Amino acid sequence: MTTIALASRLDLSQVTPLCTALRGASGADLVLDASAVTHLGGLALQVLASAAKSARLAGTSLIITPRSEAFDDALAVFGVTPADLQTGEAA
Amino acid sequence: MATDPMAEIRASFFVECEELLESLQDALSDMEEGNHDNETINIVFRAVHSIKGGAGAFGLDALVGFAHRYETVLDELRSGRMTITPEAMKLFFQAADFLQDHVRAARDAAPPPDGSEDCLVALEALIGGGAGPVVEEEVTDFQPMGLAFDFGTVEETPTTPVWTVRFRPAAALFSSGNEPLHLLRALGKLGSCTTRCDLTRLPTLESLDPEGSWLEWTVEIAGDVTDFDIREVFDFVEDVCEIEITQGTAETAPSDAGGLSLPDFGLPGLPDLPPLAQDPEDPVPLAPAPAPRAEIVPMPKTEPRAEVPPPPFAAADQPTAPAAGPAGGAAPREAASEPSATVRVDLDRIDRLVNLVGELVINQAMLAQSVAEAGLPPNSAVMTGLEAFMMLTRDIQDSVMMIRAQPVKPLFQRMARIVREASGAVGKEVRLRTEGEATEVDKTVIERLADPLTHMIRNAVDHGLERPDKRRAAGKTAEGVITLSAQHRSGRVVIEVADDGAGINRPKVREIAISKGLIPPDAQLSDSEIDNLLFLPGFSTADQVSALSGRGVGMDVVRQAIQSLGGRITIHSEPGKGTRFSISLPLTLAVLDGMVVNVAGETLVVPLSAILETATLTDEDIRALGPNTNVIHVRGAFVPLYDLGAELGYRAPKSSYAGGIVLLTAQENGTRSALVVDSILEQRQVVIKGLQRSYGHIPGVAAATILGDGQIALILDPPDLVQNASGRTRSPAFALAG
Repeated sequence: MTTIALASRLDLSQVTPLCTALRGASGADLVLDASAVTHLGGLALQVLASAAKSARLAGTSLIITPRSEAFDDALAVFGVTPADLQTGEAA
Repeated sequence: MATDPMAEIRASFFVECEELLESLQDALSDMEEGNHDNETINIVFRAVHSIKGGAGAFGLDALVGFAHRYETVLDELRSGRMTITPEAMKLFFQAADFLQDHVRAARDAAPPPDGSEDCLVALEALIGGGAGPVVEEEVTDFQPMGLAFDFGTVEETPTTPVWTVRFRPAAALFSSGNEPLHLLRALGKLGSCTTRCDLTRLPTLESLDPEGSWLEWTVEIAGDVTDFDIREVFDFVEDVCEIEITQGTAETAPSDAGGLSLPDFGLPGLPDLPPLAQDPEDPVPLAPAPAPRAEIVPMPKTEPRAEVPPPPFAAADQPTAPAAGPAGGAAPREAASEPSATVRVDLDRIDRLVNLVGELVINQAMLAQSVAEAGLPPNSAVMTGLEAFMMLTRDIQDSVMMIRAQPVKPLFQRMARIVREASGAVGKEVRLRTEGEATEVDKTVIERLADPLTHMIRNAVDHGLERPDKRRAAGKTAEGVITLSAQHRSGRVVIEVADDGAGINRPKVREIAISKGLIPPDAQLSDSEIDNLLFLPGFSTADQVSALSGRGVGMDVVRQAIQSLGGRITIHSEPGKGTRFSISLPLTLAVLDGMVVNVAGETLVVPLSAILETATLTDEDIRALGPNTNVIHVRGAFVPLYDLGAELGYRAPKSSYAGGIVLLTAQENGTRSALVVDSILEQRQVVIKGLQRSYGHIPGVAAATILGDGQIALILDPPDLVQNASGRTRSPAFALAG
């Protein structure tokens, strides 16, 4: 189980580092800590959803917990549920 | 690089606001001059409308609120339901000024300006109180998409429209710093929203381009929303995303969901609009239950997109394209006043370029000097090549300086506002006429001109122009005219503020100067000398201190500001006809004409603008004053003598200055002083290199420059130097001996 803490502002500048980090952890069961997230941008959303898709295909788990209020709020605005970004036990 | 993309977009929004405000002012001025055609009125309307739209995207509520109410009144004008009266024009101008204040307040996160509510109330009174909501569609000449669906029942039943917005960002939307989250949030504020995100096109992490765009949103909005409201949200991203907006109704949507089947055959009557058939088919579920993503009906055209970067919105978007927000309606206007192609460049980059060109000029001077020292024949290839190089350098320098140059128009528009406010405050009718608005001047010069010009304009309104009754009595129109003009004249820019008032009341000026002890009662002064008394510190001709001007900040401050820009100010006045102030300024602050002098082996540059004349001293010219100081007798007056070598600490005062060379300089307050130098080397243009950043303010030194031989020379600031000078021109030993 690998845990990655997400940056506070997941905007354009953070999306490539985020993608690299997730790629680096692929194959492992993964927990993303979104407790510090204050801004979730569309690009980061893509990366997270894509990571979930990959995890689903690979049969590994990907859980986002804990999630900040801002994170959940952004998901609601995007019309995405946490389940869309997770797979495995919690999803 | 932790730049906040939203901050950048916000910044560019405010830049655009300034442009919109400028066109608003222009169009209002046109209207004031009697041009009441629809196009002009539309420009006014659209400027306000676009500001409102952009502000909405950033949640600038106070600005949106003001713009909306202003726009509402303008809409009445646009629809011909109100007429343009002088009173209305005044209020339109005032509201435009407040709109500008609101924009600035929003930009600086400052509280909204005071008094805007009163202005709005006055405006709304013109149309009989609060007006109804603006009919947004008219703005764009946009015909709502709803027309395409001739469902028959839709128009009869008063129902809440439900809009379906399909939004697919392109990668460029992200790279330009835009954020779907903000757009979706803004949509959410319009009404009750159901948002679905289509994640199906997303590749797996391995093949994902993290900066590509793979998502698509479908948002259903119910409520009192117009197509225009929705388009406004996307105003700034139109070209970097695909948007499709279609309308259904709350009532028809659910019932039609099953019944209406207009699947793939398109609308028979509208063969050009096939994708629109999707919307009746893709009903609008009002229930907030999110539909499973997989069930989102993919557009027929979108299917092959699967893992491919988004193609341009081909035919699918064409029905909406003409309606693309304000652009649709704005097209004719833009054709009418099409802005020239421009590039926005960070000022720092230009300054860097200016600096580099400065280096180039210096380098070229050094090269020229080495070539000269090499003793090559004048017609040698090197010499001719160097000459061509020098000309090229000069051209480059001029071109680069022109990049920093900006038209004075925005400055003049600010002055138009000052005139409006000032004339309102003193109850005079004043019209501002501007000439040469396109004249370009260095940006820094423009910025630093605002304050002195404001003061001069206020003076002209307050003191220059007579009251309406007096004007009529003098056979003039009740409305005074202030002319603000700019033009290039022999390498300098000349800005004039002229009024058609009574002219300077010279006997009164003289009287005041005497009563204030500025001149002796028996002084014989020429007209122009009397006029120049206005520039003396603390001078005020107003009998009473008005709220507008005459608060002790006089023309002396104006003159000082102009002189600090390397400029000069002169007055020309004719009794009964008016007064004209002329400001002559250098085109740039990056180079200056200077006199290169030698003092105690050091090379110094004295700005030419500060030098009145040069002279060689004789024994008779020099008179001792006190133990340490001398004055010289020049043209019937005594002028204090300053030894530059001693003042700058290069040497002790000389024992005698007979035969020495002096530069006569004038200070802001008109007093003169004589600076002793050892020799005058040449007169030339020098590139100004600031010292402030590295050394802070050095008394008496304005900046530095690099000469052709690579030597660094200080550029002196004579007024500052004299202010801080000891004035010692006699050594104590000499004084004792004498």
